[in-house]
Amino acid sequence: MENMIYVENLRKEFRKIIKEPGVKGSIKALFKPNKEIVQAVDGISFEVPKGEILGFIGPNGAGKSTVIKMLTGILMPTSGKCVINGQIPQKNRKNYVKEIGVVFGQRTQLWWDLALRETYSVLKEIYEVPDDKYQQRMAFLNEVLELDSFITSPVRTLSLGQRMRADIAAALLHSPKVLFLDEPTIGLDVVVKENIRNAIKKINEEEGTTVILTTHDLSDIELLCKRIVMIDKGKKVFDGEIGDLKHNFGNVRTFAFELVNASELSKLDYRTKYRLSDDDITVQSDKNSVSVKFNADKVGVEDIIAYTLSKVHLNDMQIKDVDIEDIIKRLYKNGVES
Amino acid sequence: MSPVKRFFRTYKPFTRAGMQELVAYRANFVCFFIGEIMSAFIMYFVWKAVFLSSDSDTFMGFTMEDMTVYLFIAFLTGYMTYSDGAFSVGEEIIDGSIAMRMIRPCSFEMCFLFKELGNRIVSIAIIFVPMVLGVEAYRYAVTVMIRFDPLCFLFYVLSTFIAYMISFYFNVIYGFMAFFFKNLWGTTLIKETLVGFLSGATIPLAFLPAGLAAVLNVLPFASLAYTPVMIYMGMYSIGEIFAYMGLQVFWLLVMMGLSKLVWNSAVKHLSIQGG
Amino acid sequence: MRRYFRLHRIFIKQYLKRLMEYKVDFLLGAVGLVIAQAIQILFIGIIFSQIPKLQGWTFEEILFIYGFSLIPKSVDHLFFDNLWMVGYRIVRKGDFDKYLTRPINSLYHVLVENFCVDAFGEMLTCILLLGYAIPRLQLPFYWYTIPLLLVVVVFATMIYTSLKIMTAAISFWTKESGHITHMLYMTNDFSKYPVSIYNKAVQAVITYVIPFAFTAYFPASYFLTGSDPLFCIGGTVIAGSVLMALALFVWNRGVNAYESAGS
Repeated sequence: MENMIYVENLRKEFRKIIKEPGVKGSIKALFKPNKEIVQAVDGISFEVPKGEILGFIGPNGAGKSTVIKMLTGILMPTSGKCVINGQIPQKNRKNYVKEIGVVFGQRTQLWWDLALRETYSVLKEIYEVPDDKYQQRMAFLNEVLELDSFITSPVRTLSLGQRMRADIAAALLHSPKVLFLDEPTIGLDVVVKENIRNAIKKINEEEGTTVILTTHDLSDIELLCKRIVMIDKGKKVFDGEIGDLKHNFGNVRTFAFELVNASELSKLDYRTKYRLSDDDITVQSDKNSVSVKFNADKVGVEDIIAYTLSKVHLNDMQIKDVDIEDIIKRLYKNGVES
Repeated sequence: MSPVKRFFRTYKPFTRAGMQELVAYRANFVCFFIGEIMSAFIMYFVWKAVFLSSDSDTFMGFTMEDMTVYLFIAFLTGYMTYSDGAFSVGEEIIDGSIAMRMIRPCSFEMCFLFKELGNRIVSIAIIFVPMVLGVEAYRYAVTVMIRFDPLCFLFYVLSTFIAYMISFYFNVIYGFMAFFFKNLWGTTLIKETLVGFLSGATIPLAFLPAGLAAVLNVLPFASLAYTPVMIYMGMYSIGEIFAYMGLQVFWLLVMMGLSKLVWNSAVKHLSIQGG
Repeated sequence: MRRYFRLHRIFIKQYLKRLMEYKVDFLLGAVGLVIAQAIQILFIGIIFSQIPKLQGWTFEEILFIYGFSLIPKSVDHLFFDNLWMVGYRIVRKGDFDKYLTRPINSLYHVLVENFCVDAFGEMLTCILLLGYAIPRLQLPFYWYTIPLLLVVVVFATMIYTSLKIMTAAISFWTKESGHITHMLYMTNDFSKYPVSIYNKAVQAVITYVIPFAFTAYFPASYFLTGSDPLFCIGGTVIAGSVLMALALFVWNRGVNAYESAGS
């Protein structure tokens, strides 16, 4: 399949002035600023085929936003190459951005004091959308994102969820080929999140829009993306399908046991028994139930079951699926090496 | 611990924060200051042209030297007594973060006051002292006499301090009013222009028609700039100094009382709105 | 080009809609500016109550120069006020991102996004002053006076706007530059009076470094006396063009250096 996005060895350095605390520090910074070069993005390469939804994840400060900002033409890369839709974002920026849509979840691109409808009519002119196309498009976006109920309200009166839907619609008005979504579900409640995910999915399916999605919410990733790229400290640490991630990193299992007798709970002590660290096992108990999450590379599934049965009487037992969140949490914590 | 000591201990961190803030944003501060003092220099040149174009050595009783001292000391006094706690109060009322201040075990306006005082301490070192020295050096260069009067200067400092306190409470009141007007820029422009004019900071009150000048002299605004500047210049006798400073104290008490009233009604308003 | 004019119209239309929502606030801003100007003029009046001429300039001539200085100032204020926000807030908060993801020139976008009708306060003062001064002055008038005036206003406004663009662009490197804009902008007050009242150093600065003298005194003195058009009018045109070229250069370099905010 043809690649929509092609990124090679992308790098971005920032100069940062380190200031010591207090009045003394400020005076010192005045005469001899202590500069440090920070590698925000340190040689990242990846490709995205046309029509894919790529999950782009990593811990805070990993450089996700910096990458997105370089791909959208906002930031100049220090070195490296990115080609999107056959164009280099920084080269002919005005031409390039006609084909992309961008949503930054933390900020809005809507005009705060105007009725939402007005924002779209201004964007229509900015992106030169013809009248008939505009009508058609608004009808489609209306259907997908349900804008009708608040399209005449001033943007400042919208709820966060409405605003986000409105922002996504604003980014899609000109039918972009690539859609960049930076934290599109941040701060939203479960129902609204669900809504937005469905909309993204629908747009991707119906229009073949390529989507790059950064998020902290891993259920966004599990529900929307087949493939993820994970970065940490400016470097790529994983690139592949979610299934591979589960397979490669962490064979984490979760068992939930329900005891006949709550008083027997104290008999269970997995940690001492298998001498495992906090990273490899977590035990949570509530009344007569206990849930054990463990690294199956360190201790066998059978061992855990046998040990539990030998100590207590069980009412019920459940085996839970591998949880991507745990894998990622562990990866973030341990970095690339482990 | 004595209550006084405890009082200062509570608010000392605010003063320190005020000092640090000014130092941290020193570049902004310097740029802002240069932009503001420009108007005093323009006035200086205008007056120089006025005296050059005039046959007489005095203009309505002021010599060029008097005028120059007036201009720069009035600017300095206006600068030192400027208070913008109002802006923060207004913003905090609008965004509701004022509630955070009400749950803290310290007086709301005292926090602002002590923070601004910290700011002022740095300003004394880097603005006030150099400007007074500059004005006195100018006076010396023009008249070849040391015209600096320590007693007047002492009263000036005291009077400026009272003027600052009046300004502070006046602006607290204004800040509470911000609750009602949302455009702080427009109303602040009106307020500052009017205060600049009524306080004699733009034009000496003595130049205005006698009736108007007499009225403005007893209004609180004269206490903000005109009174301290006239004291500095030695234009007032000891008797007048005490009379005008007494008037300053009177206005300070009025402003404090008013700010209390406004604060109480604002709190009521806040609790009705649910913060 | 046509498209940009069309966009400009659309932005103005949107702005007027917003204006209707905040009528009172805008009115207050305009009133504030009128009061500020009125006090300055009272000051000039007091001076002239004591002396007949200020270094050879009559009361009406001084008012003419003063009023003239408000034309480019208020035009710039009305159309290009948003530049202040670039230096004070937009860049620091990372909100400049938005302008870079749009298929139109970022500077143009910033410029037309907002209008400041407060400027009508200055315009009103300007009209009152010129309306008072012009009938009382024997101004030389030719067929080309009006077209020339328009040219001067365009280039004089460019002096204001390009200084604001340049200083706003500094924020692309420093995150914040509103105070630098403030500092340079305040020198415009020097242009309200004849430059001959200033000493040589100030004259040199406001003529050649921050050429605000070309926004008011020089062109105004040409319209008053008809003398030295090459320097007075030509200077305004050159100062406006050179500064604008420089401003565009600095802006474009700045956009490339823009680092956005956050991670």
